[in-house]
Amino acid sequence: MTVLGYLANGLVFSSIIVLGSIGLSLVYSIADFANFAHGDTMTIGAYTSLVTFGAVGGLGGAVLGLPYGFFVALLAGIAVAAVVAVGTEKLVYEPLDVDSIGLLITSIGIAFIYRAVIQIRFGSDFTRFDIQPLRPIEALLPYGVRVTLHDVAIVASAVALVVGLHVLLQYTDLGRKMRAMADNPDLARVSGIRTRRVKLWTWVIGAGLAGAGGVFLGLFNQLSPRMGFNLLLVIFAAVILGGIGSVYGAMAGGFLIGMINQLTPFFSAVVEAIPIWPGWLAAVVRSLVSIEYANAIAFVIMVLVLLIRPNGIAGEDAT
Amino acid sequence: MSDAAAENVVLRVDDLQKSFGGLTATDHATFDVERGTITGLIGPNGAGKSTIFNLISGFYEPDGGTVEVNGTDVTGMEPYEVAERGLVRTFQTPRKLEGMTVREAMLVGPRNQPGESFVRLFTSPGAVAESESENLADAERILAEFEIDHLAEQPATDISGGQMKLVELARAMLAEPEVLLLDEPVAGVNPTLAKKLKSQIRRLNDRGTTFLLIEHDMEFVMDLADPIVVLDQGTVLTEGTPHSVRNDQRVIDAYLGGGA
Amino acid sequence: MSALDAPKAALAGLTRPEGWVLGVSVAFVLFLLAALLTGALGPTYFLFLVGLAGMYALLSFGLNAQWGFTGLINFSVAAFFGIGAYGSALMTASGSPIAGGFNPLVGLVVALVVAFALALLIGIPTLRLRADYLAIASLGLAEVVRLIVLNERWLTNGSAGVRGIPGFFEGWPVLSTFPEAMPGLRLEVVPGSPILLETAFWQASLNVLLVLGFAGATFFVLRRAHRSPWGRVLRTIRSDEDLARALGKNTYSFKMQSFVLGSLIMALAGVFYTHLNLYVGPGDLDPITTFYAWVAVILGGSGSNRGALFGGIVIVTIREGTRFLNDVALPIDPAPLRLLLIGVVIVAVMRYRPQGILPPQRELIWPSAVDGGGAPETPDSGVRERKGGGGDE
Repeated sequence: MTVLGYLANGLVFSSIIVLGSIGLSLVYSIADFANFAHGDTMTIGAYTSLVTFGAVGGLGGAVLGLPYGFFVALLAGIAVAAVVAVGTEKLVYEPLDVDSIGLLITSIGIAFIYRAVIQIRFGSDFTRFDIQPLRPIEALLPYGVRVTLHDVAIVASAVALVVGLHVLLQYTDLGRKMRAMADNPDLARVSGIRTRRVKLWTWVIGAGLAGAGGVFLGLFNQLSPRMGFNLLLVIFAAVILGGIGSVYGAMAGGFLIGMINQLTPFFSAVVEAIPIWPGWLAAVVRSLVSIEYANAIAFVIMVLVLLIRPNGIAGEDAT
Repeated sequence: MSDAAAENVVLRVDDLQKSFGGLTATDHATFDVERGTITGLIGPNGAGKSTIFNLISGFYEPDGGTVEVNGTDVTGMEPYEVAERGLVRTFQTPRKLEGMTVREAMLVGPRNQPGESFVRLFTSPGAVAESESENLADAERILAEFEIDHLAEQPATDISGGQMKLVELARAMLAEPEVLLLDEPVAGVNPTLAKKLKSQIRRLNDRGTTFLLIEHDMEFVMDLADPIVVLDQGTVLTEGTPHSVRNDQRVIDAYLGGGA
Repeated sequence: MSALDAPKAALAGLTRPEGWVLGVSVAFVLFLLAALLTGALGPTYFLFLVGLAGMYALLSFGLNAQWGFTGLINFSVAAFFGIGAYGSALMTASGSPIAGGFNPLVGLVVALVVAFALALLIGIPTLRLRADYLAIASLGLAEVVRLIVLNERWLTNGSAGVRGIPGFFEGWPVLSTFPEAMPGLRLEVVPGSPILLETAFWQASLNVLLVLGFAGATFFVLRRAHRSPWGRVLRTIRSDEDLARALGKNTYSFKMQSFVLGSLIMALAGVFYTHLNLYVGPGDLDPITTFYAWVAVILGGSGSNRGALFGGIVIVTIREGTRFLNDVALPIDPAPLRLLLIGVVIVAVMRYRPQGILPPQRELIWPSAVDGGGAPETPDSGVRERKGGGGDE
């Protein structure tokens, strides 16, 4: 594959990571804790759409190689992820009398409950959407780009969702309140914002986007009960890279981390080609920069960001 | 300033600057705290008093300017390093120390306890026990002086806010500071306890501890502190005796302008 | 009479949760004894379970030294456990792809050194920052360690795992031949169901001895360290780190010490596991191990070593209970069932009893100073249970 091909794959994967990281960042700044159940919220979206698609079928026509029924399933995935998140907030997080660290630990328990229920119902094996896999788009093949119409659909849908969020944040009353709350929750409360309602909407939006990300991840790869939890590390890396609490930072971080993740084979080819001295270092670098370590590379980037700019590339420096 | 005068300065704040995301919180603030004084730091809401405290005690790193404690430049040092040079601070709203009794909370005060070294717990338990006994005796003595020895075995989470302020002051004394920064020592404290706090601060000051305190209660601060430094919009507006500050038109304007 | 009075008085002094835990524990021990005597539970398997409980107790001690003492959120318990297990396995096993054949003591030292280095590596970038950064970074660390073990075949044998691991006492005088030297015993308590005590049983008793040694030593070290000025600073950091900083404590250094200490204990649990199981594979690094330890610590009571001990026993019950359920009653895959149980226990504890069942109740004051300093004896219980004693304004 060419560099262009890797970049194209990176764009698709980035779209999914961005959808995940926006929600994590929103909840992080407005509900004020690191939500370790966010990955499994993506899994919920994916499996909901799997079931819905199985139930409604193709519904006749298709857009971008995807049957109409898939879009119904996508909406169902988004809706159920949002409903589950709001339910969890109402039933579990809101009644808790613990600090943000306590919420963080609780969210790990929630993550396990989500995943366990899915695994009990669907088993631990990989599954796929019952949609015919497409051949890569012919016109792009000469450039070494192997993307399908499905990939185009993922990117287009993600762009639409991100633009929608941007409009919501910048031009609506709810968006303004959300930004105010993210900046300073105490100030927002005293200035008369009904913070509980804003928080609920944050869960709806954050989990909805995560649900969409999960559906696309299932389409891009496969579905498995661990799919979301496995992605959690990458999403956290994206959020930290972008600066915790910054939605636009999370978008940028998600884009970068997704790209780097998919460009790993390219980097691996690069380190093969360039001379590295001494020899043992070359061996170490070459064995570590390989596709098996795509997630590990996200981790290393995250640790480096924590060392150099703990508030992320977009955040301002303060202690 | 002459050397003799400089020697008398225990804390020097020189041209301190700090801004947060374009908002200037501290704007070239300069003042000295002389040894043996109770210096008051006042100003309308948002004048940047707490920011200055955080800059002095090492919790924030300044964008510019210097802080000197006893002639040593402590700018950019970690809070514990500043404390090691004799400057200790308290907080406006102390968090509750969960699972600790008041006595235990007091014992966090003394600095450089041998028992704070993990290795020495096992190599020289005798020295640990000896210093622990001394610290325990000190703690109980100070609690008695503060007339709160009856609280010693109470869970630190169960005592009132005012009592907590007294415990905080008592604990800070166990750290044997040369200069002690008090952040609103009587905020939310009932008048009886506030009176008690005032007399304790006076007593400790007589014994040689220098105080710098932020306080909104004007009566309290005017009665206790001399001199008084007035901050407005991150910079020093004026300083002087309580009398001169009270009659300074700029101070009155600042307070009226600040909506207080 | 006095011999009877002392336990009676001790019983009377128990708080309700303490009595509850004691009651459940006693009932559980009686149940196990009955199962043993009737032959329903093989004595060797029973000792294996005891060893496993000891191992989880060690893991919980390690996490307690981090989360319970200082409030550090370590989600890479499995990684440090794995480092301990692989470190000693790779040094001692005949099937080791790199070294192999060394004395288990060498394996122990190597495992601890590697765990120490790894703890520093993850502690340095995160311990200066807010508590949740460590949580995120340590979750990532666990994944990276797992990936390395899985992929670097030249080092770890990859998914095949490491075999040919000797018992911990191999090469020691007397103890290395002890299991073979012991005679096979046949006990028949209940007629018709004899209990056989053979070489495997004696081997298992040695393992129990080993884990008791590890756990006992750890318990002693932690208890002394916790009830000291050192432990007091950690507890202050847990509640209010800024306060500790303002009082002149180098909190970064204290957090690092607590993190390293806990990580070493987790690695020790891994070393024991290696010589108990005699095989290690990448599956042993599954994140679930991390959350077993978490459940044990928060259920037992964060900061309380005896709580961690109790938690360790609960974990073995969850682990083996789900297996038993699957074998006997419900045909549900035990893996998601364990996951569900862990999740539910975490949420339930945070909801209904965030301080855990046996929260720490002693003052963190050097014991001899309290006795010798003329201060009244601390009540052993009730610091947290007593409520509403303070005056109001």
